[in-house]
Parts: sequence; structure tokens; C-alpha cells
Amino acid sequence: MATPDFETYCQQLFDHKTASGKPEVLKGYRVLSCTQYILGPSCASYLAELGAEVIKIENPRRGEPMRHTTPFNEPLLFPLSRWVPEAGTGLGFFGANPNEEFITLDFHRPEARQAMLELAAKSDVMVQNFRPGTFDRWGIGYQHFKKVNPRLVYQWLGGFGGWGPGRVRASYDILGQAMGGAFGITGEAADRGGTPAKHTIWLADYWGGMMAAVTILAALYWRDNVSGEGSFIEYSQVHGVTRMLEYALPLYGRYGIRRERWGNWDTELCVHGIIQCGKSSYPGSANPQEAEVGYILVSAYTDEDFKKLCDVIGRKDLATTYAKHDDRVKAENQSIFYGALETWAKDKTKEDVATLLDKAGLNNQPVWNAKEVAEQPHWKMRGAVQWIDDPYFGDLHHQGPAFKMSDTPPRLKWALKPVGADNERVFGRLLGWNKSKLAKMEEAEVI
Amino acid sequence: MASSSFPNWKVLPWPAVPIPTPDEVYAGLTDQAKEYPLSLEAQLRQSENFKKPEYLTTVRVLDLTKGMIIGNWCSSMLSELGADTIKAEPPEGDPLRWQTPFGRKEYMFKDVETGEPIGLHFLHEMRNKQSITLNLESPEGRELLKKLAVHVDVLIENYPPGQFDAWGIGYRQLKEINPRLVYCWVGQKGQWGPSKDKPGNLGPTAEASCGFVHGTGLPKEFGGRPTRSAMWMADQVGGTSGAMGILAALLYRNKVSGKGQFIEATAAEAIIRILDYNWGWYGFDGSIRPRYGNWDLAINIYAVNPCKDGYFMVGGGHDRLWYRIWRTVGQTRPDLEDEILDDKSLRMVVARLPHFRQVKTYTILADWQKDHSRADAMHHLLAQQVASGGVNYIDEVAEDPHFKYRGHVDEIDDRLYGKVLYGTTPSLGDKCPGRLKWIGRPLGYDNNDVYLKLLGLGPGEVAALKKRGVV
Repeated sequence: MATPDFETYCQQLFDHKTASGKPEVLKGYRVLSCTQYILGPSCASYLAELGAEVIKIENPRRGEPMRHTTPFNEPLLFPLSRWVPEAGTGLGFFGANPNEEFITLDFHRPEARQAMLELAAKSDVMVQNFRPGTFDRWGIGYQHFKKVNPRLVYQWLGGFGGWGPGRVRASYDILGQAMGGAFGITGEAADRGGTPAKHTIWLADYWGGMMAAVTILAALYWRDNVSGEGSFIEYSQVHGVTRMLEYALPLYGRYGIRRERWGNWDTELCVHGIIQCGKSSYPGSANPQEAEVGYILVSAYTDEDFKKLCDVIGRKDLATTYAKHDDRVKAENQSIFYGALETWAKDKTKEDVATLLDKAGLNNQPVWNAKEVAEQPHWKMRGAVQWIDDPYFGDLHHQGPAFKMSDTPPRLKWALKPVGADNERVFGRLLGWNKSKLAKMEEAEVI
Repeated sequence: MASSSFPNWKVLPWPAVPIPTPDEVYAGLTDQAKEYPLSLEAQLRQSENFKKPEYLTTVRVLDLTKGMIIGNWCSSMLSELGADTIKAEPPEGDPLRWQTPFGRKEYMFKDVETGEPIGLHFLHEMRNKQSITLNLESPEGRELLKKLAVHVDVLIENYPPGQFDAWGIGYRQLKEINPRLVYCWVGQKGQWGPSKDKPGNLGPTAEASCGFVHGTGLPKEFGGRPTRSAMWMADQVGGTSGAMGILAALLYRNKVSGKGQFIEATAAEAIIRILDYNWGWYGFDGSIRPRYGNWDLAINIYAVNPCKDGYFMVGGGHDRLWYRIWRTVGQTRPDLEDEILDDKSLRMVVARLPHFRQVKTYTILADWQKDHSRADAMHHLLAQQVASGGVNYIDEVAEDPHFKYRGHVDEIDDRLYGKVLYGTTPSLGDKCPGRLKWIGRPLGYDNNDVYLKLLGLGPGEVAALKKRGVV
């Protein structure tokens, strides 16, 4: 058989449709997730995509608060639980809890404490994001768990961490972005009419969860290959955001220079920024998201590419005057190029601009909205977005895992389940509860 | 140190304000109240880091990426947790090494031994890594890579799709030489698929291609535009996701298969993964997520709005917090509290989400905020246990007492680069916390160490390779 060309080889190797026939990389690892909102849940969900058995433990009946958030209060997935069929789970919960099993437990109760200790004894990882010290007060903190399971990797995540001057402060993603520094440097500069801007995704949450997942995997690697011991790990969301500030801290530390907002351009490269095109790609659309004019990222920062770009937009003079990148990237000069580009693009859609730049062999990327992304053949083929037949909720359009593996691919099995959907399975199988015990616990609202 | 074009100002050493002591931090607390934070602190204090082992000391990583921060970031995730990480650069250096904001050479640092300048963005992600040079354009360099590949657990590269394969040093070929190798390709859009050859490069390209830019920034009606992250954020998230795959593959290799595998991590798909409900909502009824600026489509109150001296965040997604927020406002502006409490339509938490009600809520809240500084507003709201805080600028981040006390921001006195302020690794732990051992290395600084140690070359041979342009 002839060796396939590299692209075919990769496509066969990474095709998400064949993932279910391959082994799962974290099979055999059990994770307890006592998490709410996004930071903690997303951390556990990355492990669930990799095949770990993740047991998410929520409050009986209503579940965790994120189930009750959804954009403009519109889309909901029914039922919330078998006990509350008339309510649904909001899409705020979506994407942060795939592939998990869902049980309920009222942590305050002594019966729940016993169940928690038994579960901890049979698990590899515990993820929780309650306020610092709360679980310790309830007798289910790391100090208690490590006595029943010294191999447990215990990950606490939260806003500010459990010690230090700000330890009692609650946090959300947006506060993490704001306090950590990413918020203040994102967005247009004040003299261009801008304000600091929030990263629209719950970045500090979703990426923070990923950071914690990385640390958990490293801790498991150390446990299984080196020490045989578990560990306690603390992740603070504001701390994570501060890690992302690139050159800002070294620059400030040595020179006292404060990194400021630079909008849609780039401080290190020019031309490498997003420009406005004068025309909408969907004139007359009733959807304001489509009626709006288009935007496109134009990237031509090497001397050669910049010269080509100047040819395309009919400004050969700029290529002569600003032949060197060091001159182009200067703060005082950048607006010249982006201004010229926006003037040139005034009578064009983002697709018009992309076509002309493609023809010249120049890097560009139209700013795609959610619909355009969802309909890109590239993303569909790669399974970055996919339709799944969810066992509970039917046809759902869902994001795929963040990365691909050839032999043991991460995969999407289901989007979420109703509150307490796996009570019988998990309590029965792991703790040996029989039907009458389950009924008793349910009646007492322990589960 | 500063060049002549630099303003002649005096910079105070960091920290400008002393770091609080434990006595100050826990002043006024009962012994019982102190017990938990102090016991946690005893386990996690970063000054103890170097007394503890590291998770990944048994792992060796070879980072061959250049020109995109995604690769540097990916290997940083591993080097911060203790992996022996070698950054192999082309003989002229990773282009990122020479990049500096606004082209200002005077911002670059110089090491004490060679005096070679280094860009601060690159330096910040060179942490705990060694630098070697390796010319993959030359057949001899590629042979050298094959020899190196035997000695590493992880290889990370970001060359154009298929380039390494065509050179005979791709996954298909290297796995024959080292079946235990975990090979990770990182990039913007992937090695296969209809758009693979239109990858764009660096930072905001991926952000624009995944829906992030479209959704960030103020709506048009509020004078906003689609907005990119100030950081090359998609590369950071993509690099983190790659590290996740690498560690999972290492676990599986050692425990189950004995074999490495091929990993592909892209900046754009990492963001698509974390774009919460975008795709579910689109599939639900064709909704295209709009930009909503510094407010939130799914939670009210949950927003940043202007205040007296900048921008200020208030959050309270459920009823108890809602009333606490307005009680706080009512302390100085009872008229505003009344206006909210009198509006029956705002009583249910979900009823506050429609746009016109969010406008009303935040208009009234901003009316209170305009008379308060960030510190002042925070003081009042924290007294009611409401999550709140100002948008910090970089100097405030560097000097925040909480961050300094816990070492979120720290200064290293690096043997080569002197005092460098940096963001520390956020993985604190009782057993193996992440840490910074050194901040960076000049180009090819470790050629002798690495080639002599791993390949058994002699110093003369390395010099000869250098002469031939191989390293």
C-alpha cells in the first residue's frame, strides 16, 4: 500500500468520527467534581473529555447555579431533573460539563459526609471550588480526604486563593479579568474613544480550568511514576490572569512603563491588525449581527508582505517611506497604515478584501461571527463544532474537544444530564446503596 | 542600562509599597479564624517552593517552535512544572526573540555575559528553558534532530503542515526512531482541512476565525467594534490545551501502551472549545451571539461600568446579592435604591436579563458609581460580601497587596538578566508547586551543555557544527 500523503494521513489519524473506536486516555481514573459556575466545572470537564469517570456532585433538586443562567433567559434544555420537569437547564451550563455523571448530595448533612469520604476513598482526583475552608468546616476537606486516600490529587480552584489579604473575597470570571490585568489592557485606547474591554468568553474561568487540569495531570504523572503520593493544589483565578500579561510586568518592573490599551492593532507587529470594511456581507439582513459592516484581520508585517500590501491598496508611496518594520511598528506611525487600509476597504465587504489579499498571497482573516464559524467547512470537517445525538436532549450543536490525539482522542459523548440523573448508578455501584437506602436518602433530601 | 533615547527618570525598586506581613494580614482575627488560612499558607507559601520536588523532573521536552507564542506557551506549561525543557531555535533565533513593543530596542533586556538583547514577551516565556540552535533547513541539522529525538519524551513543533514530514523528521519518521515520543504539533488552524494552508499566524488570527473577536467589545450602538484581546490570547489557550494533551499522553504511555502518540493543538479550536454557549445557542434557533461589551447576556448584575477613577466590576447573579448591592447603594443614594425596589418587573432574577432592563439596572448603578472611586466602591460592597473590584492597570497589578503577599507577581534576580518582574505560575501546591528557576537564556547559550550531554559530541564538534551553520 502506498504511503498516504501527509494531509490524508493526518485526516485519517485525527478524524473525530473514528474517535469512539479508540481507547480513552484517562480510562480508569475517577474524578469527583464538587464545582459550580465555570472555573471548577470546566476543569473537571476537560478530564471527562479525556475519558476520566467524572462524577459531578450538585445540590439536590435545583442543581448548581449555572444551570439557571442562559442568554437573555431564552434557550433552556428540559427537564432540569426528574423532580422538576417544568424547569430546564440554561445554556450557561453548556460546554462546561460534557461527558460527566451527575449525582446530588447535600454536603451539610452527616450522612452526606460519610458518602463523601467513601467516594473520596475510591477516587483519584477531587476538584472543588467552594469558598476556602468551607469543606474543611464540613469535615470533607483535604485534611479529611487524605486520611482515607493518601493518593488523592485534590484541586481547589477559586478567585483569590484561601490565604492572604484578599482570601475572603468572592470572584467571578469578569472580576478575575479586571483585577488580574487583562481587562485594563484590552480594548481601544481612550483617545480613540475606547474603554477597557472584557474578553467575551469567560476566559479566566475556562482557561483557568484548563490550567488546573494541566496541573492535575502533572500531579497524577508524579503520583503514578515517581512518588505514589497525592497532592493538594491551589489555583487562583486572578493569579492565572496575571500570568497572561506577556511583556507587561517585566516592562513595568524595570522601567516603570505601564502597558496600555492598543485596540485592534498589535504592539509588536505592524501591519497586523483588524480593520473595518465599509460594507456589510449581508446587506438588508434583519439580524443586526449580519447587517453590521465587516471586519478583517490583515497581516503583512514582513518587508516583503508590506510591499505587496501597498501595491494592492495602491499606496506604493508607503512602501518606500516605511520600508523598515522598526518604522512601521512605531506607535506614532501605525495609524497611517490602518487608516489607509480602512479608506481602501470603504467600498468593500470583508470577503472582497479577503479575495484581493488572497490573490496577492497575503495573510488575512475575516472576523467571523458564530454562524460563519459554525458553517465553515474547515471547522465542521475537523469536528471543532459538531451535531451530536445527545442521549437526553436529542440533536445538539456542540463544540468538540480543544485538541486532538492520534491514539487516544478526547471526545464528546454527551453534553450534560439532568440533576441527579446518575444517583442510582453511582451510589448503587460505588457505595452499594440499595433501592430502599436510595429512597430513604431521597426522602430525607440528602440526595 | 537605558539607552540615550530613554527619558531620564528614576524608577523605584519593586515593590514600591512594602509587602504586608502575616501579622498585618491576619490582624484582628481570633485564633480560631486564623487557623485555616495559616495552615493553608504553611503548605502553600511560595518561599518554600525550592524545598519541594517538581512534578515533571523526569520528563524532557524539546520545543522546536518559532514565530508563534503558542509553542513557547505550551512548553512553558511543562517547564514551570519541572520538565527539563530545551528550546531549539534556528541559528538566527526565534523571530519572537527580537520583537519588542513599538520597535523600541531600548525596552529590550541584555544578559550580563553576551550583552545580546532579548524581547520581553519572549523572555517572559523562556522560563526554565535552555536555548540551543539547530538549523533544520540543513540536512545535517535534520540528522542532528533525529539523534536528539531519541533522548526526549516530548517534541513540540509548529512548522507549516507537512513540512517536517517532507523533511523526513515528522511524526511518521520519528516514531520509528523513538516509539515512546509524544509528538505535538501546534498552530492556528491545523494540519489538515480545507483552510489548513490559509493559517494566518500569530495571536489575533485565530481569535478572529473562531467567533471570539466578533463577540468581544461594545455593541455598535454603544460606539464599539469587534475587539481582539490585548494578548495573543488564543495562542496562550491553545498552548495550554496542547500541554494537557501531552501530559495525558505521557500518563497513558507509562501506564498502558508504552508508546507515544501524535497530538495536534490549535489556537482557534481551543477558543471554539471554550466559547461557552455560542454553538449550542446557534444550533438551538440560529442565534448569532452579539457583542455585549462589559455586560453579560446571561447574568445581571455582572458587569464593569465606569466609576469616578476608572472602571469597576460588580457581580451578583442571585437575589440575595441583588438586594445587598442595592442596600449598599441606598446608603448614600436612597433615591436610586428606591427606584430599583419600586420596579416590580425587576423582582425575579431571570426577569432582569432582557436588554432594556439591563440598561435600566446599569444606568442606575453607574449613577452611584460615578461618585465613588474604585477603592471606595469596593470598600462599601465588600462590607456586604458582594464580589466587586476595580479594573486594575498594570502598576496596580504589580502592587496589589494580595498578589504581592501570595507571590502572584514576583521579582527574580536572574543570574543573566538581573532583576525581572514577572507573573508567576499559578499552580501552587503542598507537594510540587510550579516555580521559576531562571527567566531566560541568550540564543544558543546551552549548545555545549545539551549537545555534549545528550549526543556525546565534543566541544570541537559543536564548534565545527557552528562553523558549518548547523547549530
